[in-house]
Amino acid sequence: MNNLLPVADGPRVRRYARDLFRQHPRELALTVGLHVFAAVAGLVGPRLLGDLVEAIRHGKGVGVVDRLAAAIAAFVVVQAILVRFAYLASARLGEQVLARLREEFVDRVLALPLSTVERAGSGDLLTRTTRDVDALSRCVRLAVPETMIALITVVLVVGALVVTGPLLALPLLVAAPVIVVGTKWYLRRAPAGYLRQNAVYSTVTDGLAETVEGARTVDALRREQQRVDRSDADLRRSWIAEKYTLFLRTVWFPVIEVSYVLPVVATLLIGGWLYVHGTVSLGQLTAAVIYVQLLIDPLDRLLGWLDEVQIGAASLARLLGVAAEPGEEPAVAGADPAGARIEVRDVRFSYVPGREVLHGIDLTLEPGERLAVVGPSGVGKSTLGRLLAGVHEPTRGTITVGGAPLHDLPLDRLRTEVALVTQEHHVFIGTVRDNVAMVRPGAGDDEVRTALSAVHALDWAESLPDGLGTIVGVGGHPLSAAQAQQLALARLVLADPHTLVLDEATSLLDPRAARDLERSLAAVLHGRTVVAIAHRLFSAHDADRVAVVEDGRITELGSHDDLVAAGGPYAALWRSWHGERIPEPADHGGR
Amino acid sequence: MRNLPGPDPGTPDKRSAVAYLRWLVRRYWRSVYAAIAFAVLWMLGQAFVPAIVGRAIDAATAHNRHDLLMWSLVLLAAGVGQAVSGVLRHRFAVVNFLGGMFTTVQVTVRQAGRLGSALSRRLDTGEFVAIGTSDIRQIGSAIDITARGTGSLVAVVTVSVILLTASVPLGLVVVLGVPLLMAIVGLLIRPLHRLQHASREQQGLLTGRAADLVGGLRVLRGVGGEAVMGARYREESQRLRVAGVRTARVESLLEAAQVLLPGVFLVLVTWLGAHFALDGRITVGQLVSFYAYAAFLVTPLRQLTEAIDKLTRGHVSARRVVEMLRSETDLPDPADPVPAERFHGELADPASGVTVRPGELTAIVAAVPAEAAAIADRLGRYAEGATVDGIALGAFELAAVRERVLVADNDARLFTGPMRADLDPHDRGGLAAALHTAAATDIVEALPGGLDSEVAERGRTFSGGQQQRLRLVRALIADPGTLILIEPTSAVDAHTEARVADRLAEARAGRTTVICTSSPLVLDRTDRVLFVEHGRVVADGTHRDLLACEPAYARTVLREGDQ
Repeated sequence: MNNLLPVADGPRVRRYARDLFRQHPRELALTVGLHVFAAVAGLVGPRLLGDLVEAIRHGKGVGVVDRLAAAIAAFVVVQAILVRFAYLASARLGEQVLARLREEFVDRVLALPLSTVERAGSGDLLTRTTRDVDALSRCVRLAVPETMIALITVVLVVGALVVTGPLLALPLLVAAPVIVVGTKWYLRRAPAGYLRQNAVYSTVTDGLAETVEGARTVDALRREQQRVDRSDADLRRSWIAEKYTLFLRTVWFPVIEVSYVLPVVATLLIGGWLYVHGTVSLGQLTAAVIYVQLLIDPLDRLLGWLDEVQIGAASLARLLGVAAEPGEEPAVAGADPAGARIEVRDVRFSYVPGREVLHGIDLTLEPGERLAVVGPSGVGKSTLGRLLAGVHEPTRGTITVGGAPLHDLPLDRLRTEVALVTQEHHVFIGTVRDNVAMVRPGAGDDEVRTALSAVHALDWAESLPDGLGTIVGVGGHPLSAAQAQQLALARLVLADPHTLVLDEATSLLDPRAARDLERSLAAVLHGRTVVAIAHRLFSAHDADRVAVVEDGRITELGSHDDLVAAGGPYAALWRSWHGERIPEPADHGGR
Repeated sequence: MRNLPGPDPGTPDKRSAVAYLRWLVRRYWRSVYAAIAFAVLWMLGQAFVPAIVGRAIDAATAHNRHDLLMWSLVLLAAGVGQAVSGVLRHRFAVVNFLGGMFTTVQVTVRQAGRLGSALSRRLDTGEFVAIGTSDIRQIGSAIDITARGTGSLVAVVTVSVILLTASVPLGLVVVLGVPLLMAIVGLLIRPLHRLQHASREQQGLLTGRAADLVGGLRVLRGVGGEAVMGARYREESQRLRVAGVRTARVESLLEAAQVLLPGVFLVLVTWLGAHFALDGRITVGQLVSFYAYAAFLVTPLRQLTEAIDKLTRGHVSARRVVEMLRSETDLPDPADPVPAERFHGELADPASGVTVRPGELTAIVAAVPAEAAAIADRLGRYAEGATVDGIALGAFELAAVRERVLVADNDARLFTGPMRADLDPHDRGGLAAALHTAAATDIVEALPGGLDSEVAERGRTFSGGQQQRLRLVRALIADPGTLILIEPTSAVDAHTEARVADRLAEARAGRTTVICTSSPLVLDRTDRVLFVEHGRVVADGTHRDLLACEPAYARTVLREGDQ
């Protein structure tokens, strides 16, 4: 597992867990109290059973036996009632804590600076959001209450033993060192072992899914044997990982199982000897033997849940780590933009120090202008787009909007200035309406419809099973990539910033539809500044100016007609598009 | 202990679900029987503990030190024996579980290979994937539970005999009472299971919602909406909290019932036992062990219930596996195939009138792109209909066709693992040249590990254009006699597209290549263009000729008709 985002350290996790429960002191006290009383009630039964045995031994009458039996029954009823309320109280507290944990986590994720997400990739964050939140839920719902109850029961049983006869509690000490040493040994190795086991297991299932979903590709490339070998290799690795944890259990299980029976044997021997010598009564001996056996179950549960608690703590550390990331401090003040002119002055940018992607960009965007950015892949077009949208801060140079540095604007303010739509077409789980309106809380149905119709999406949106109320996104009504892209553009229309950066925003549409859409968008966005990064040349043809980016620099800048007349690389490309044979530059290799 | 996974599993028994499970057990019979044997020992060890404790207490009561020592040591021996047999049982059971699971994975992967492209036409892919995510575990569990199930059965019988020998009436109360109790608790559990299932599902939805937010984080950063999405998440999280408490309310009642019912029953047994002891019909030690047995029986009975449950689920899963194993390809090999040597000459699709001349770079332009894809499917025999030199492709073995014709589309899956292994699995070489042709050298150069970098699922970490170029590299390295490319450059920029089109023509010189595209930059570099309308070739010539003489063609490729 790759932890690309930071992980919180131990003290921080413990402090957080403590604070979390401290915020609910009454609920916590109630929960623990109820569990204690329930456990006490549960321990009275065996104690009375001892008295019962004693009564029979001494030939006490039927009346005494019946009264004792009735008393045991009464305690059972009391215990049941207490268990009910204790369980409910701890579930209430657990759910409360859990909801808070996951909500705070999601808030932190939503506030994460995009540069952090970009750097770490979404994989790690996604793992934390899904697997770690689930693991923590399991821990808070099951492991924490179970260990708490088990711990309470163990303490009380030992207490009961001491009350029954202090000497009779001594045999317990036989087991303690064995359990402690064995369990420490196991817990030191187990979490890593199980994590590895699960990780390898998911390569098996992922590999199988890949084989099945990619069956046509496997067939086309005749990779059948390769897939079989791959799957067998995954299974072998899975077996090795399983064998390791099996080894851990092979050592640990017998050790603790023997340590459960040792105190029973010792109690029988020592207690029996004490009874023969008249130091303890038969009732005390019977009760002690039962108590020692009663210890086995809570002890077993306590030990069994310990690794879950460990896993939960590790998950919590990863969840808290997301906040520990020193975020780019949101700007507080900053100058207020005056106007919508965007000026880029000698901007340089590198994602990794020493590897500059943009080498000195100068560009002025007049309000209402349409600029097309063209150029080969990987020359920094998208990077320039992100800089213009304020996603990244230039390494050197400045970008200002209306005279104010773009990157100093607070996020919500920035959005009213510049918005960015890329070819990434994510449809959120929710209705079509939600998917558009999310950028403007409180936007009415009419506004959503207008936005959809501006991107030629209203017709298909209304013909969905539930119209605009149709649930889309993962698990919902499937939308094509082109429809998803239209939704993204509709969002943009509704958000209505004065400058829009479209990074291949229509690349997934059928070329003819893309051109139609771009034209109608242009009409809706009249007066807005549009920067369109595009690989289709007709987008460039329709723009006011074209910027050709090559190797991190703007090499040509001007209107379509000027550039065609200038006879540079753009002109060559344009002519080739129109079927005019052009000589290839030497490094491209001719045909 | 044997090593897993075993060698090639061979042909599974696919007559029925039971037959399949039996086949699995037969493959692992040694460890299955060993696990059963140790499970019986393990359970019996537990079953005798109360009786031994009872004897020891009786010995103490009788002030018989020798017997007290003896029974205490017997108890110790039973405990150690139980621990040892328990862990041995566990080890064999894990082998059985994994064996059942691994073997099912093996036969599933092999069957997927046999079905090939027919898989998605014959079966629901989701169902197939479900085998990998849930069915294999259910089947493993079914094989695993045979041991504990048998052990529990033996334990229940043994305890019943012990109790009935001690006292028939009291024994009957316990032997009949405990299963009755379990049945009642089982009935109470059923609505709880439904509630728990619902709340798990809700939890899953919430997790899905959070994952959705993470997946769309970049989109949110571009246009905003964090506040709305965050508020919606909180709302659903609170709803889950309320649902969780509602489930806990029922759960808490059940927890209470699980204390109350056995508790009251134990009191009843104890009270009856006490009267029997007062009458001298049983000893005090027997009274204590009756109490212990009534408590003990719950464990094996619970395991028996679990066994029935797991066997049922395993059976359902095995049925799905058997169904998958039984499905057959819809592109079968002919009984008497035409020798592969006769596969040469002109590839043709009579239905559309497309013909592909050997050694040429042919383009298929369709006003509706799906029509070109359908033609490509026939030419590559993903559907019947095409011929080579007048012989139907279906007359050859499918493998012979696949070896000679490769259809590369944009849905082709990039496989996880080192990039080199996916691009060039047989180490054919020519990787650098193919990377150059597809203008993909920069993609590899940007990766920290170069060609040894891990490809994520579906190549997700690459942009659409990068994925497309990597797919092209893979197809070029496969170097088939006939390469059919569907829209190979639709997601790359015009500069790169022009470059790829030039290099492609050069790299495939002398080999047969078909490109389904409508990009003028690519079309201009082909030898011959077939223009398809309504599924039929309507014009045929060079790109320039068609541009000049076919207005419909010009409209399709230049998209200037509406100007």
